[in-house]
Amino acid sequence: MKTNIIMKVMNIIFWIVFIGLCLETGALLVSLFVTLFINSNGAEDTYMGLNLLDLYNFNVEHYIGVASFSITLSALKAYLAYLVIKLFMKFDLNYPFNEKTASVITLMSHYALSIGVVAIIAENYANRIMRQGLTLQIDWGAEQFLFFAGIIYIIALVFKKGVEIQSENELTI
Amino acid sequence: MPIIVNLDVMMAKRKMSLNELSEKVGLTLSNLSILKTGKAKAVRFSTLEAICEALECQPGDILEFVE
Repeated sequence: MKTNIIMKVMNIIFWIVFIGLCLETGALLVSLFVTLFINSNGAEDTYMGLNLLDLYNFNVEHYIGVASFSITLSALKAYLAYLVIKLFMKFDLNYPFNEKTASVITLMSHYALSIGVVAIIAENYANRIMRQGLTLQIDWGAEQFLFFAGIIYIIALVFKKGVEIQSENELTI
Repeated sequence: MPIIVNLDVMMAKRKMSLNELSEKVGLTLSNLSILKTGKAKAVRFSTLEAICEALECQPGDILEFVE
């Protein structure tokens, strides 16, 4: 009973996170479009107070690069949140170890790793820009996602083993 | 799989249907079917005991090893 309530609450939280990340991705896309084609002052408040106007004035290509990385990471995080929601929808406590759950968890680990790798590339890119004299304070969260990817991958391996054990148990007469 | 289950052979010898065996042994028809068709991965001793008792036979009459 308590577990079901916690699962429902977490499901709602992840729906909120997913919608928030979708809005963030959309806002970043719109901001990039507005800055490039309508009004360059759009870079002053890209999303939630993120000011990239100095970067835009410094080099438009670098601005497009940083904005693209932000949009890509935001979109990947939104998809990861969607996978978590999908996991909650497919998860059945009576039969937890099944192929669908194991495959969703494996996919989550792959996407978390992708986010980590893209974040590292973005971090290195931002550091290269900062060496040219510009200040760019963006937390890409590379280490956190790489750590998360490692943990989720191990959980995925445990789930796969669990599926094997469960199917063997089901075929034991 | 190297282990073959000759349950249908023993059932035919004892002239027993799957339903009858299922009632005597206390297994569901689907589980017996899994055993009969060779899809089972393992058999509990308690299940083997119940089947041998119902069919009045030895474990070797039901289970056969082929290379």
